[in-house]
Amino acid sequence: MGVTTTGLAGAELPGRDQGSNTAPAAQPSVESAFDSGLFDRGFTGERNLSRWMGWRLRLLVGAALLGCMGLFFLARWLSDPPHIDGTWRPNAQGRLELASTNDPTLKPHLGHALIGIVGADVSVAVADVLTLQRSSRWLISDTDRERHRAMHEQISNALSRQSVKLFFSDGDMVELQLQRRGFAGLGGMFWLLSALGLVLYLVAMVVLLARPTGLNLLYALMALCQTGNLVFIAVESTLELALPVPFPRLDMPLRMSFDLITAASMINAICRHPRQLPGAGWIAVIGWVYVLGLIGSMLWGGLTDSWWWTQGSVSVMGLLMMAMLTWSYRIEPHPFAIVLRRFSVVAVSTWILLTVALAAAAQAPGVQNNIAAIGSMIWYVFLASLLLLVPFLSKSQQIMREFSLLAAISTVATSLDLLFVAVFSFGQFASLTLSLFLSLGVYAGARQWILNQLLGNSMLTTERMFEKLYRIAREVELHPQRTPALLSQLLRELFEPIEVILIDRRSGQTRIVTDGSAMILPMPQLGNEGETDTQAAPGSIVLRFAHRGRRLFTSEDARLADRIVEQLRRAVAFDKAVEQGRSEERARLAQDLHDDIGARLLTLMYKAHSPEMEEYVRHTLQDLKTLTRGLAAPNHRLSHAAGEWKADLTQRLTAAHIELGWTFHFDEDILLSVVQWSALTRVLRELVSNIISHAQARRVDIDFSLENDRVDLTVVDDGIGRNPRAWSHGLGLGGVRKRVKQLGGEVEWRELTRGIGCRVIIRGLSARR
Amino acid sequence: MAVKVLIVEDNPVARSFLCRVVRESFSDTIVITEAGDLETARRNIALQSGSAGAAPSDPFKLVLVDLELPDGNGMELLNELARYPATKIVTTLYSDDDHLFPALQCGADGYLLKEDRFEVLVEELQKIVRGQPPLSPAIARRLLTHFRHGPGIGGGDSGFTPPMPASGFQSSRPMPLGKGAPLDHERLTPRESEVLTYLSKGFTIKEIASLMGIKWFTVNDHIKSIYKKLNVSSRAEAAVLASKQGLV
Repeated sequence: MGVTTTGLAGAELPGRDQGSNTAPAAQPSVESAFDSGLFDRGFTGERNLSRWMGWRLRLLVGAALLGCMGLFFLARWLSDPPHIDGTWRPNAQGRLELASTNDPTLKPHLGHALIGIVGADVSVAVADVLTLQRSSRWLISDTDRERHRAMHEQISNALSRQSVKLFFSDGDMVELQLQRRGFAGLGGMFWLLSALGLVLYLVAMVVLLARPTGLNLLYALMALCQTGNLVFIAVESTLELALPVPFPRLDMPLRMSFDLITAASMINAICRHPRQLPGAGWIAVIGWVYVLGLIGSMLWGGLTDSWWWTQGSVSVMGLLMMAMLTWSYRIEPHPFAIVLRRFSVVAVSTWILLTVALAAAAQAPGVQNNIAAIGSMIWYVFLASLLLLVPFLSKSQQIMREFSLLAAISTVATSLDLLFVAVFSFGQFASLTLSLFLSLGVYAGARQWILNQLLGNSMLTTERMFEKLYRIAREVELHPQRTPALLSQLLRELFEPIEVILIDRRSGQTRIVTDGSAMILPMPQLGNEGETDTQAAPGSIVLRFAHRGRRLFTSEDARLADRIVEQLRRAVAFDKAVEQGRSEERARLAQDLHDDIGARLLTLMYKAHSPEMEEYVRHTLQDLKTLTRGLAAPNHRLSHAAGEWKADLTQRLTAAHIELGWTFHFDEDILLSVVQWSALTRVLRELVSNIISHAQARRVDIDFSLENDRVDLTVVDDGIGRNPRAWSHGLGLGGVRKRVKQLGGEVEWRELTRGIGCRVIIRGLSARR
Repeated sequence: MAVKVLIVEDNPVARSFLCRVVRESFSDTIVITEAGDLETARRNIALQSGSAGAAPSDPFKLVLVDLELPDGNGMELLNELARYPATKIVTTLYSDDDHLFPALQCGADGYLLKEDRFEVLVEELQKIVRGQPPLSPAIARRLLTHFRHGPGIGGGDSGFTPPMPASGFQSSRPMPLGKGAPLDHERLTPRESEVLTYLSKGFTIKEIASLMGIKWFTVNDHIKSIYKKLNVSSRAEAAVLASKQGLV
């Protein structure tokens, strides 16, 4: 059943790698899938494309012409024989009654039952309404079928000449001159059904010729069988009193063969798609042997109760199909299996319902007639639409959703109709109206639930998605190398695939491969727009089995993914522009501050009247420089900052003839933000300044360590300072407190046996950036 | 004989301060010429030597140049004085490598930070003249990057060395002077790299000497050599660039 024009036989994904998601180990399998997908599309075609497409296209045009011609000749042949201008219906006594007519000679006999026809040396006694049964395929008993066939053949013989005599129950006899039926007399239903049959036939041909593989052959076989069924139904819909000669005889064997062959092909196809099942060959062979045996014994007349055999066999095979699809899904959660199982559940259950309804209505020939005509027609049309839909499953979600709703509602309506007719013996119109009404009610009530089932109710809401998008944009800007991980995270939440794999191969555009079980998304380059050429191709993201393997990817999903990537790119670009603007602004501010205020402070310093004043201004100047540097450079690496701190402190302490003991240790060379850098710089400078001015120390030991995001800074001098609690915390030490607090840490001074020890502890440095 | 010194500095207070520093630093007789802008400085040099750049009979021994001047950047003057046989020192308020590094590439022999205390400046100036130029950690780091990636990246903003196509590998770079192997002036010896690495971590020369087990003046020699290589490589690069652009 699963055949698409994209060709799945070549692009079959090999076995799923168990367990790990986003596993690099899974690369080979995906690579091969990727390969085969590309291979199918690109290379084999490239060389032979024109030649092959040439004859395939010609063949397709030929097939289409053949179909149209066939339809035309069929219609012509049907419309050619003479006919009685009137419609017939069963009356209360189970006789054939004239319902309506345009013929003036028949008009007086409206509502009278027909008892016999004489024409062309044949006389036919019409005892009951069996002749109104459109198709012998839906007659349960073999004897009825035989009688139906004989009666149809006799009546059509009787009508084969221009004149015919009709005998009515009230004793009247009417002699009629028959007219040709004409195309218009065939009725709308005939044209609708044959058009559907033609479309199905053409789709089968397109699928087969686009890629003549085994699976596509099976699909074509199913589609052709159903085309045959549709043609029979169309022909039978033209029934007035009898069908032209070969049809009553061919009806049963051909249509039963069509149904059985379709069932066997479906079983065969499910063996191979969406996944090759263990023992697929044997299952298929058994199916085919059984079906062909059944058809053979039916054709050579050895089979009694052939209707029961057919209905039973098809039902059992349908149940088998569902079991196989479940099995296939267990082995590999391909969403295609789920979709197919849904389809087959609906189709098989309505089939069984139809069978049961027909069997139950066996005592009431009129009712049974209705069920057989309308119920079976709806079922076949439904199956034909399913077959039509299958090749386009992954093309658009919209079609599928609408179709599912349509299928659901029509299934409900049909079943209710059948139920009312069969069980409550309602009239046809009453039951149809009631069932339509009820099913519309059910549809209205269940619509939301059905949609949720189809769409997956745990999809991200739009708001949340935007929020995520912008958060990711921010992160991507900070860490461009994490783009793949972040993007796959977003896509994972969006589509809930079973697997997300990053591969090295670059793909041109977002594509759906292997019938919508996987989507390949080229990795966008968000971090560095300008260098796309020099950068190595960053590969692609492969998502497999959407919505935990319960949904197919569609081309809409691909478009959505593309749009998300585009939005992400814009968000990143926007953030970048904002950040660049900010840093330019900061740099300008820093330059101005430095140039103007710096020069003035320098003059002021040279002109200072006292060394204290000079020192104070120098201090201010240094603070200004720290400030402007912080403004100009957004972040500083810890190791770089450490080097500068050491050089600066060494110089100042050396000038004051104080020895420096410096130990610096960190577990991660983090990037300090402006705030962190300037705070730490000032804390260190302030503490050392304090020691230089007040402690009269000979040695200062500075110990800085960063471990697990915790900063431990101790500054110990061997000076004369005592009783730190009593210190007046002027500008300098107050500043230290303020800066440490700004970083979320704490500072304390302690009196040692000799000198003062200052300890700064900042837990969770990265928490405040 | 008197030692001739040129001080190019627009701020008169700073100029007189620097004069004091220079006088304090040397015991010789000092003749100081002061210039408030580039124009005056050029005139003084030309007056003295006839044509700027050529070696005059009685040249300035020491030139202090401020970077930010009313009529241009001090680096222009440094460029013009490329072959002038004087010790050229940049005096600046800018201690960041973005400003200083290009100045060093232009051939400055050292730099003084104007906000330093008088004694510190005197000491630093003496060191530079004796051939012990200072190298801050930031500049050392910049130098390491410069030599690791080849000239052209490190001095990208110096005005005359626009970034060359960043190939990143020496072997694949176009050879400017047609030699097969990377040129000596483009590479640091392992020892020099080591010294630079230590400097970038904030170690003093004395500490580096003890860490590497060598004498401090050997460390100093390495630093001087690095300076020279930086200058030469920048100059060679400028020459290549100029010839490419048809300027020479």
